[in-house]
Amino acid sequence: MGSTILLAASGLTPVTADSPNAERIEDLYWVLCAIAGLVLLSVAVPLVLFVFRYRSRGRDRTIEGPQIHGATRLELAWTLVPIGLLVIALAFTFYKLPGITLEAQAGERELEIRVEGRQFYWQYEYPNGAIAIDKLRAPANTLVKLVITAPDSDVQHSYWVPGLGGKFDAIPGETNDTSFKAKVGVYKGQCAEFCGTQHAAMLAEIEVIPVDEFDSWLEQEAEAQEAGDSDLGEEEFLGACTKCHGPQGEGLVGPGLSSASVSDAENVAQIVRNGRGRMPAVGEEWDDRQMDALTSYLRKRFAEEGQSGG
Amino acid sequence: MAARTEPPPYPVPWTQGRVAGWVATVDHKRIGVLYIITSLVFFLAGGVMALLMRTQLATPDTDFITRDSYNQLFTMHGTTMIFLVVVPIFAGFANYLVPLMIGARDMAFPRLNALSYWLFLLGGIVLLGSFFAEEGAARSGWTAYPPFSAYASGNGQDLWIVGLHILSISSLTGAINFIATIHNMRTAGMSWMRLPLFVWAIEIYAALLVIVLPALTAGLTMLLLDRTGWTNFFIPDEGGSSLLYQHVFWFFGHPEVYVMILPAMGIISEVIPVFSRKPIFGYKAIAFSTVAIGFYSLLVWGHHMFTVGLPFGLQIWFMLASLTIAVPTGVKIFNWIATTWRGNLIFDTAMLWALGFIGVFTIGGLSGIFLAIFPFDWQVHDTYFIVAHLHYVLFGGSMFGIFAGLYYWWPKMFGRRLGERLGKWHFWLTLVGFNLAFFPQHFLGLLGMPRRVYTYRDDDLWTAYNLVSTAGSYVMGLGILAFVANVVWSRKHGERVGHDPWLADTLEWYATSPPPPHNFDKVPYVTSARPLRDLRRRMAEQDS
Repeated sequence: MGSTILLAASGLTPVTADSPNAERIEDLYWVLCAIAGLVLLSVAVPLVLFVFRYRSRGRDRTIEGPQIHGATRLELAWTLVPIGLLVIALAFTFYKLPGITLEAQAGERELEIRVEGRQFYWQYEYPNGAIAIDKLRAPANTLVKLVITAPDSDVQHSYWVPGLGGKFDAIPGETNDTSFKAKVGVYKGQCAEFCGTQHAAMLAEIEVIPVDEFDSWLEQEAEAQEAGDSDLGEEEFLGACTKCHGPQGEGLVGPGLSSASVSDAENVAQIVRNGRGRMPAVGEEWDDRQMDALTSYLRKRFAEEGQSGG
Repeated sequence: MAARTEPPPYPVPWTQGRVAGWVATVDHKRIGVLYIITSLVFFLAGGVMALLMRTQLATPDTDFITRDSYNQLFTMHGTTMIFLVVVPIFAGFANYLVPLMIGARDMAFPRLNALSYWLFLLGGIVLLGSFFAEEGAARSGWTAYPPFSAYASGNGQDLWIVGLHILSISSLTGAINFIATIHNMRTAGMSWMRLPLFVWAIEIYAALLVIVLPALTAGLTMLLLDRTGWTNFFIPDEGGSSLLYQHVFWFFGHPEVYVMILPAMGIISEVIPVFSRKPIFGYKAIAFSTVAIGFYSLLVWGHHMFTVGLPFGLQIWFMLASLTIAVPTGVKIFNWIATTWRGNLIFDTAMLWALGFIGVFTIGGLSGIFLAIFPFDWQVHDTYFIVAHLHYVLFGGSMFGIFAGLYYWWPKMFGRRLGERLGKWHFWLTLVGFNLAFFPQHFLGLLGMPRRVYTYRDDDLWTAYNLVSTAGSYVMGLGILAFVANVVWSRKHGERVGHDPWLADTLEWYATSPPPPHNFDKVPYVTSARPLRDLRRRMAEQDS
């Protein structure tokens, strides 16, 4: 166990798996490594041996080796043995496959969360309507199903948190899903399909917390978002704005933000919904609750900064 | 004014001038050399792009180049290496060698052949010139997935599409020419089972290009139309399907991979027996495995799309078909090794590259098995694991094969050998640098580093692997410099050789080095796959 973690930490195996599907992919990795190692040896050993044993040692170029043109039995052997190895790899894959594509057992609780990839952030929607950006909270030891897509007006992304399993593309007009069942912890990931200038900044994180803690948090969060006193505005600012306008809104790919440019809520909403110039329509499908959260947060943040700065 | 009374005795046609002789040529050998030199120049350009990217990635949060420059560089590096280096340099080798190897005077359609080259050069200029377009070159990857590529602003993407269209016409006319030549112009006695294995590889290379290039052309035309706003084939917002593009692109894109590796395998199949002083082991097995790989390559495109949500049954099919390709590939590798068994192995630089090919290509082939197993691919798809895999097959495979071919046939093309001392520097620096640069990238992928990112998480291990990779890329750069130095040095100082310096097996070594415009005064009747060795034996018998 200790050595597994060490290997995973050095990158010689996939990152430490903490969900049954990811664990089974790791098992698969080891079987494939064994087969690949065997084949590599069967190539490398004779190659090195022959290179050493049959090197010219000053013999003239005119000296020929024995004129052997082939051997049918050998051809059969190195056709059939690899087929056998591939069949073993396939059999193991099929044996592990049901555990990799997690399905809910009868009566088991399943939480379905919608994941949307957008330039350049992830938007999550919980069953009760609560919204989260980039950072997802999920209950421990519960089957969590992610339904992954992207708005029709956006581009392709790929949602990937390696500790919790494989990646699936977020494609406009298509829907994919994957599930995980994780232990308490924080898992990092990022977009894996090139999606534009700030693709590298499109990070994702899943924080897995105990079930009862999660349930009460989710209820409170939904109420707070409804009432307009949640942290959603800040999350939206960090997820949808800072990647191009800089961590403090000081300007990066896009221009800097100031109290003057963000004070007119209607103007901000218009730009966020429709985009402008090279800025994508980051909030095209946001509802009023989301838009209000952002505009009021921006007004507050930059007004305060204006005061402290002045 | 005195009128000229008589014409000069032997008017020299303008087409034989020093420069015009190359511009106006329809000689397959000159066209081949033009192809190879042009591709090598593009190779240096693509290599510089790679070094710029590796410098940016040496440590996290580097400000060496801007994000958009980085995105242009990885797009153009891939496009350059595939469309301007590996595919055309094989067209160059094939141009030079196929007619000579089959005992023909020229290609079937010499003028079409010249057109292929000049279109290649034009396409390359359009592609690389796009760096100077509004907002720079294309920046959506060599795969150019819509909707991103359909929305990308500036003209870089348009020029990229037009450049690829031009190159596709070039490749297609070239491919038709190769097929016509191989089918119709073989000399007396040159039956299919006596055809050099390199020519077999070119036959399948050309057939694959003819089958799949129209798909690329169709897909890119649809993309170009989408970009003008007239159509919405791939734009989901207007009812199109961006997934459709991926199917069209990879139906072309996967066979393209074999277009880039089969001729390298053909070169290896020529070099290893000559430098082992033995016949190739399992000629028929190697020839048929070439055909089998070509056939299966048309059935596996979906393994590039395991994460898009294909139906389960299709994922299983694409996994099975992809794994199948491992079998004929293994057959080739084991036959090459068996060829060296009990031989008289001579380690000239060409042989070093060929043996190096077997080692590194096997690693690339094995990581391909991991990727064919679709649940595992879900983890490493679109990560640095893929970047490592594709460089092991396209640099460790194609480029190692190309270097083997260059050292082997250089004396035929230029009458002088490349230097052995610089050649060995070139080989060892490149081999060590290559493995340093790309082996750690497997681990980066397993750790979670996606491809096509201009920076990455600030983590000690990620930084360490990236730093090693960057250092390795510089060592590779030194290796390539040794090659350039070798080419320059050999122009004056390379050892002059006769028609057959390696005591080889195939007909191109029957002609002088370099061969005359008409190639052969007469061609010996071919009675085996090794006509030149037969000839040497007959002459030895007559002498004794």
